[in-house]
Amino acid sequence: MNFFKTSICVFCCAHALLGNAQSLVDSIKQLKPVEISSLRLNEFSSGNKCETIDSAMLNKYATSNLADVLTNETQVFVKSYGLGSLATTSFRGAGASHTAVLWNGFNIESPMLGLLDISLIPSFFLNDVRLQYGGAGALWGSGAVGGTILLNNALPFNRGLTVSAMASMGSYNDAQQQASVEVSKRKFASSLKIFNHQATNDFTFTNIAKRGFPEEKQTNAELKAYGILQENLFQISSHQKLNTRIWYQNNDRNLPPSMTEDKSVANQKDDALRASTEWQRTGERVALLARVAYFNEGINYTDSMIHLQSKSRSEVTIAEAESRFSITKLDAVNIGFNNTYSQASTLDYGVNKYQNRTALFASYKLHTKNNNWNVLLSARQEFIKNTSIPFSPTIGVDGKFLKYFYVKMNIAKHYRIPTFNDLYWAQGGNPDLKPENGWSEEISLNHQHEIKSISWYLGASLFNRTIDNWILWSPNAANVWSAGNVASVWSRGVEYKLNATYTFKKLKVKLSGLYNYVLSTNESSAIVGDASLHKQLMYVPIQNAQGSISIGYRHFSVSYTTIYAGYRYTSTDNLVFLKPYSVSNVSLNQLILLKKWSFRIFVQLNNVWNQTYQVMQYRAMPLLNAQAGVGIYFNKPNKP
Amino acid sequence: MNVKQLIFASSIAFAISMMGCKKDDPETTNPTTPASGYTNGVFITNEGPYGTGTGTVSFYSRSNGSVSSDIFNTKNSFPLGNVVQSMEVYNSKGYIVVNNAGKVEVVDANSFASVGTITGLTSPRCFLGITSSKGYISQFGSGATGEVKVIDLNTNAITGTIATGNGADAMVKVGNTVYVACSGGFTNDTVVTAIDATTNAVLTNINTGANPASMQLDANGKLWVLCVGKWNSSYTSLVNTGSLVRINPATNTVELSLPFASTTNSPMHLCIDAAKTTLYYLYNGGVYVQPIAAPSLASAPLINRGFYSLGYDPTSNAIFAGDAGNFSSNGKVIRYNQAGVVLDSFAAGIIPGNFCFR
Repeated sequence: MNFFKTSICVFCCAHALLGNAQSLVDSIKQLKPVEISSLRLNEFSSGNKCETIDSAMLNKYATSNLADVLTNETQVFVKSYGLGSLATTSFRGAGASHTAVLWNGFNIESPMLGLLDISLIPSFFLNDVRLQYGGAGALWGSGAVGGTILLNNALPFNRGLTVSAMASMGSYNDAQQQASVEVSKRKFASSLKIFNHQATNDFTFTNIAKRGFPEEKQTNAELKAYGILQENLFQISSHQKLNTRIWYQNNDRNLPPSMTEDKSVANQKDDALRASTEWQRTGERVALLARVAYFNEGINYTDSMIHLQSKSRSEVTIAEAESRFSITKLDAVNIGFNNTYSQASTLDYGVNKYQNRTALFASYKLHTKNNNWNVLLSARQEFIKNTSIPFSPTIGVDGKFLKYFYVKMNIAKHYRIPTFNDLYWAQGGNPDLKPENGWSEEISLNHQHEIKSISWYLGASLFNRTIDNWILWSPNAANVWSAGNVASVWSRGVEYKLNATYTFKKLKVKLSGLYNYVLSTNESSAIVGDASLHKQLMYVPIQNAQGSISIGYRHFSVSYTTIYAGYRYTSTDNLVFLKPYSVSNVSLNQLILLKKWSFRIFVQLNNVWNQTYQVMQYRAMPLLNAQAGVGIYFNKPNKP
Repeated sequence: MNVKQLIFASSIAFAISMMGCKKDDPETTNPTTPASGYTNGVFITNEGPYGTGTGTVSFYSRSNGSVSSDIFNTKNSFPLGNVVQSMEVYNSKGYIVVNNAGKVEVVDANSFASVGTITGLTSPRCFLGITSSKGYISQFGSGATGEVKVIDLNTNAITGTIATGNGADAMVKVGNTVYVACSGGFTNDTVVTAIDATTNAVLTNINTGANPASMQLDANGKLWVLCVGKWNSSYTSLVNTGSLVRINPATNTVELSLPFASTTNSPMHLCIDAAKTTLYYLYNGGVYVQPIAAPSLASAPLINRGFYSLGYDPTSNAIFAGDAGNFSSNGKVIRYNQAGVVLDSFAAGIIPGNFCFR
């Protein structure tokens, strides 16, 4: 039905601009990565479809969070509960906990929940984001089932002194301030970034759950967040580098009611301290890397209406070492070790719970002399006391043929260990849970070419994935809820991507389109006659698409993005569903470049066609809204 | 662009356009409405999915066994809201209590056309008609409280508040006294609050067992109270087990108290047959029977199957048992005769939680 219209739209529209203006911003901010953030990421992920959101793209979303970036720029479906509220990802029809989120190589998901609220990650704190689709248990361990999000920071050497500040104002009393100072010498670099964000998010919406569909203002949706990121990078010797990072963030959010609820007084306060240090030695033949991280996170959830206060705190310490070397000129080997110690406390567990996980992983990559083809074999074995973790191998192939075609193939075992809540929640937690596991297979065909001023990219991926021992909470005969390895989910689908860029003198036009068709069905159940059997999982759209067009001229750029999500079921028997929606955004950017100073003015318009839509059932979404801001940059190069 | 590239590009374009042409509208079913209106049958209140969804009301017709689903939204074009808790028919009007929406939707009981909304409530649980112009709504309130709101049935306005024990829940009127089971709400309590229905004054709080939640009046004029028991702070076991308690309304005293054995399971949903001599309830994965004259609790269930909800239809003398399935898809209602033999079953909405017999 209206998908046809949308598909036209998709192919008349395009992705964000990577044009002249944006790369200038990039050079102003001087964020070109010069550091190997993870050996495995760059060299040992063959055969998986990957997407990169680079610093230029992230810069366009400087005052947004990761949820906005992924919604608009990638093929991942983002489940958002509304403006400023919880947002999680679904890769290829998997669940929120089937995405591994790694910050500079460390998994930062809560051991209690097994997921991360990506609406809490400011894009200002990231230098690039990479998405690896498909299962990758061998590479990234537990949770890398549907896909992996790799959040990376990079600090360059020898860029001098850079100071920047940005302020923006937006609809619903949204106010953000950001500042950064970077000192970058030849053998030492240090950076400090801070942000502050407040919003009331009291947008007007049509309440379709009340008689006469009255216009209402969202209540209890206030947000306050601030954070600090401090990084240091040392060149110890010509072959050795050391970095340290500290990220502290504090969020205080009121949780608004759904349209079917009268009111809400719920509040959630989160705080997270993340600290890490990494040492690396790169040589001619052998590279070594060792790193340690410590994460401390707390959640304080209160709802006085239902007399509830739930406080929890988790601590995670990760130590990892890996080495890369070559045996011949045509191969590369990576071996490594990871130890993760997690502990969590909440009244709902009774006593404090802890878990120690040790993993060994290895990869072997062989490539042809001209580097056009390579084959990758990887494996990981994780050990947890009294738990049997499946051995997780991967085989991947990357190849280039007929000059302009690329093929990727991958078969991988994946797994996800049960969360602390699944294991230890006082009523219903099940300490005997087994890890979820399964296989994912994919094949992608890509084509890239350019003729004169036009360049294009076409990609198609076909995937298949099973997840067995899927953990669900379900009631027993006496209506006591408990966690069990009850479901098996089979997902399969196709993904298409198209980009085309036209360059003429100082004009650059870029079109981009994405389309996914995903079936993700439940194939087994512990409940007799379960109506969810062979039905699509809730909130997994069968079809979704995006399209964008960007035009850049000199230092001005404008881009238009449309996203489309098809029907999503809201009951497991697929009898209740949400209608498709499409939402469009426009962003405008103007740079003013002086000698040492630069200025940026930007305007972001969201939901420009003023659509009423629901991502989650009866969760109100804002109509047309806007943000505008100014940025100022100063750079003084080092003396030669 | 050479030939191969052209073929590749056009095959992708073709595949995409095929996807685009696929009919992606999910199938919808049109619920049936009985020609005679909702006069002879059973309303099933379906709580709706946890979280953000809406509950529904289904109607089971006694005359032909047909079922109409989501009859409120079908008639009125807006959903009931989150969570549909219970329904009562009083003076030909249906009062549908919607918990988290903090309201009671009032409908014409025959057509289900909306005639009003009682708003300003906080976690309401049950409705009870007192006179043609006065009704009571029990509610948990906000936090550790319990209240009965007095409603002017002509204007649907709240005219008063009666403080009860924590978590005012089921209500039964005996003579001119309204008994309110105080189920603890978001905390705990142990009382049934007795209210003078004329003056709205609290007469007394009768100590029962822990967290009394459902009640029935028997043929002898005695009030039976089913207490769910009190859980420990982490909800792993019952500190006080459930109990079945008999109150003499003449003296407002407890005459009999029968404690349950299980420390991990609560008895729920007390019902009574048409003769008002036999009680039914859910406990430990079964449906149990309790003749009012029995001196002790039954040791074995009548029906060895767990349910989420239970009701007894005094008109057809059938037991209605609600199965919520996986709690995120439509549930089922199984009908049994008094001997516990299955009569038939039909589909309800998501989480069938209570029955209203008309």
